[in-house]
Amino acid sequence: MHEPIRIAAPRPTLEERAKQLGVPKARQKELQALVDQFKAAFSNREEVPVSSIELEKSRKSASAA
Amino acid sequence: MPPPPDLNAVFLNIPYDEEFRSLYIAYIVGLYQLGLVPHLASEIPGGDRRLNKIVNLIQSCRYSIHDLSRVELTTAPSGVPRFNMPLELGMTITWEKLNPSLHTWFVWESEPYRLLRSTSDLNGTDPYIHDSTPAGVLRELCNAFQSDHSPHVPEILLVYRFVSGQLDAILAKKGTRNPYDRSVFKELCWLASTLTIFLRHPRPSA
Repeated sequence: MHEPIRIAAPRPTLEERAKQLGVPKARQKELQALVDQFKAAFSNREEVPVSSIELEKSRKSASAA
Repeated sequence: MPPPPDLNAVFLNIPYDEEFRSLYIAYIVGLYQLGLVPHLASEIPGGDRRLNKIVNLIQSCRYSIHDLSRVELTTAPSGVPRFNMPLELGMTITWEKLNPSLHTWFVWESEPYRLLRSTSDLNGTDPYIHDSTPAGVLRELCNAFQSDHSPHVPEILLVYRFVSGQLDAILAKKGTRNPYDRSVFKELCWLASTLTIFLRHPRPSA
C-alpha cells in the first residue's frame, strides 16, 4: 500500500466553501439549524457512540486486505 | 503549460446509482474532514459537451478517486457493462502521464484482487478496498490522505450518519429522487463542510 499523501494546501475557509457551493442564504439558515442540533448533541455526549459491529467489520476487512 | 489545479480538489469518479448513495455521502463527508473538496461531473452546469466538461474537471483537480467497485452489468432491461468509470480513469491516467506533477489518481474497489480480473492493465496498482461500507470508505480515505487536525474515523462516522440522515429531507426539498443531482450534492457538501469546521475545534470538556 502507498504512503498516505500529506495534504499541504490550507483548508478553504467556511466562507470560501459557502461561496463556492452557492447555496442560497435562506437555505443556509435552514441547514444551519440542523447543524446546530447536531452540534448540541455532539457536545453533550461523553463518548463517541460508534457501533462496535461497524468498527469490527472495518477491522476484519482491513486485515483481510 | 496548463493552469495549476486546485490543490484541495478531488474529482470523484463514482457510479450514480441508488445502491451507492451511502458510499457517496461517506466520500463527501470524509473528504471534507481531511481538508479536501469533492467534485462530481454532475455539478458542472450544462452547455458544453459532457466529455469536455469532465476533462476540464479532471484537469482542475489535484486528485481523483476512481471507484471501480460497481463494474458489474447494470440491471435489466439494459444489462450493459458500465464503461463510464473506466473511461474517465483512462482519461485521467493520460492526463497524469502528460503532467505528473499536476495530478494524482487513486483506484478504489470493494473486493481485494477483483481489479486484477476486471482491469488487468492496472496490475501493479494497489486499490483501496472499502468493502462497500461507509466505514470502509472513511478508513481508506484516512489511509490515502493525511492532514493536520483531522478527526478519527469514529468521529467522522458520526458526521456521516448525520448528513446521511438529512438526505431524504433534502431530496424532498429539491423535488428530486436523485441524490447526485447538482443542487442536492451542493447541500450535502454544505452540511459536510460546515461540520468539518466544527469538528476541528477542541471538544468542550464534559
